[in-house]
Amino acid sequence: MNMEKVVFGFFIVLAMTLNFGFFLGEIDNAAHHHVYELYAAIIVSLIATVLKFGDRTQVGAILLSTSLAADLQLITAAILWAAFHESMESSSLMVYIVSLSGGALMANFVSVVLLISETISQRR
Amino acid sequence: MILRRLRRPLILIIVSFAVVTIGLTLVPGVDDQGNVWHMSIFQAFYVISYTATTIGFGEVPYPYSQAQRLWMTFSIYFTVIPWFYAVGKIITLLQDVSLRQTITAERLARNVRQLQEPFFILCSYGQSASLLANILDEKNMRVVVIEQNQDRLNELELADTKNTILSLCADAKLPENLIRAGIDHPYCSGVVTLTDNDEVNLAVAVSVKLMKPSLRVIARAERKDVAANMASFGTDHIINPYTLFGDQLAMRVHSLGTYILHQWLTGVPGDTLEPPENPPRGNWLVCGYGRFGKSVVENLQREHLTTTIIEAMPDLTQCKSCVVGSGTEANTLIEAGIHDACAIVAGTDNDINNLSIVMTAKELNPNLFLIVRKNNRNNSALFKRFGANITMQPTDIIAHECLAHMLTPLLAEFLTLARNQDNQWANTLISQLVDVVGETVPETFAITIDAENAVAVSEYIDSGMLVRLNNLMQDPANRERNLKLVPLLLVRNETSIIVPDQETVVINGDRILFCGTYDAKTTLPASINNSKSFNYIMNGLEVPDSTIWRFFKRVLAPH
Repeated sequence: MNMEKVVFGFFIVLAMTLNFGFFLGEIDNAAHHHVYELYAAIIVSLIATVLKFGDRTQVGAILLSTSLAADLQLITAAILWAAFHESMESSSLMVYIVSLSGGALMANFVSVVLLISETISQRR
Repeated sequence: MILRRLRRPLILIIVSFAVVTIGLTLVPGVDDQGNVWHMSIFQAFYVISYTATTIGFGEVPYPYSQAQRLWMTFSIYFTVIPWFYAVGKIITLLQDVSLRQTITAERLARNVRQLQEPFFILCSYGQSASLLANILDEKNMRVVVIEQNQDRLNELELADTKNTILSLCADAKLPENLIRAGIDHPYCSGVVTLTDNDEVNLAVAVSVKLMKPSLRVIARAERKDVAANMASFGTDHIINPYTLFGDQLAMRVHSLGTYILHQWLTGVPGDTLEPPENPPRGNWLVCGYGRFGKSVVENLQREHLTTTIIEAMPDLTQCKSCVVGSGTEANTLIEAGIHDACAIVAGTDNDINNLSIVMTAKELNPNLFLIVRKNNRNNSALFKRFGANITMQPTDIIAHECLAHMLTPLLAEFLTLARNQDNQWANTLISQLVDVVGETVPETFAITIDAENAVAVSEYIDSGMLVRLNNLMQDPANRERNLKLVPLLLVRNETSIIVPDQETVVINGDRILFCGTYDAKTTLPASINNSKSFNYIMNGLEVPDSTIWRFFKRVLAPH
């Protein structure tokens, strides 16, 4: 067992599951989406991104780009939250935030699919 | 690869920031009305960002509670240290020598790929190579230098050149560096390797010839076996600095005119050459029987001159009959018969000893012809002040020899043929050249008469008309005048005609070496490639370009 691979897989899967956990619930109901879950999703997604640095293979490049896509959307959601939660109505703000996190979820999902397909193709 | 090494510091920053930010939102604070409040994640991140980066705005928006201060104290130590660690690590990575070398090498490769004119690759930037680079630059040719010694490259960067000389600090023995320097580039005209290490020169010559056999390679080799090895791989020209030195000296003794011609045609255009002195015939003293000395003696003996050798270590240099001594002290020189000698060659590898030898010799016999070898270009001031009859500098000789082979293969061929001519012939040619192009060093260049390089001439010949050599030399602005050109060599089907007669009929496939002024060099291609100009030269007629004007001309022409 390779510890590096374990950590790598763990963070990529965790990034997706946390993201999914935040996304789950009614889109305009602020009570269904906790701010700490978004926070955790961003942190784990950032760590996953850094772990993907420096892989020169084609799959490595795609993995990194999916992660960057997820980071971009999650951070945008966090900025919206920080900037507008005092001035905007919470249900309409929540729609933006959750839909952005939905986009990030897709990117994370692609990332996990790539990871699994690469693992399977190695046949070891 | 830089990103991979950044993983650890970046993850450390993310984790430490994440932990303290979350902590700060959980620790209760007190607002200005005395109510309990919690920081939002954004506020906490803001506070941690300015704390960790040691900017420190203070306690916003309200003064902190004791619990918050406790957590902040922990945060400071927990984030500031990873922050500095990461910043330090990133800066170290950016200053990493191997990384910077990779970046500069890739930048050079990109610049070389973008070159749109012929260029030469020099695999060193020593004394002769730097001189060569300067002359090529003066002749508006691009140069790419591969040199392992960064100090020499710094010298190159500070040098005042017309064009940017691209340089790569790398080992020329490695084929990848040769590829970076552009040996695969369609405009690469040749590779010159002049390092003082035979093995390096051999490695470069072999790898270039293996990767691109059509490329011209000029290599320096001191040992005969290395030279033979280079030749077996098809190296175009091999330069042995020691034999070259003796050879040049012999040429001066044998035929001064040929020597001047040689110097003239391979010099920097625009320079004036001082008239050299003619060495006397008689008994010569040669100090130092190293590789230079041997070559000098061998060449002098071929000229039927008697020589006396002075050598400090006769056993080491396999010298059979010689006067033992360094030559710097008077008694050795007297023993060698300085009072009856006519010339002395100070050819040791030590500049100060050489100067000392010729100075002592001059005191003993003021009529001596003094020849001194200069090893280091930095000692120029000393040698200039002393003013020997001939100051031979190996680096200069090598650079000129390279140039003869680089400019055009025809020039090298011409110079070889010129060696076989006598002094009278050389002097006649020189006076002819001086009449046409003046006292300064002229441009030498070759043209090929074919459909690609001389369209107008080729068409004319194909239509069955006779074109003579002097037609090519007429000025396209006024056919009564001649361009300032002298034809030196005409090569037709492997036969060479040295200094061809101006009435010679030119045919397709001829290659002609011209020597002339810069203006003539730039004007000639215009006349031989432009049908209109060439037609004017041949007939004195201006043919109108367009159909309408041709029609008018025909109608208006008196019948």
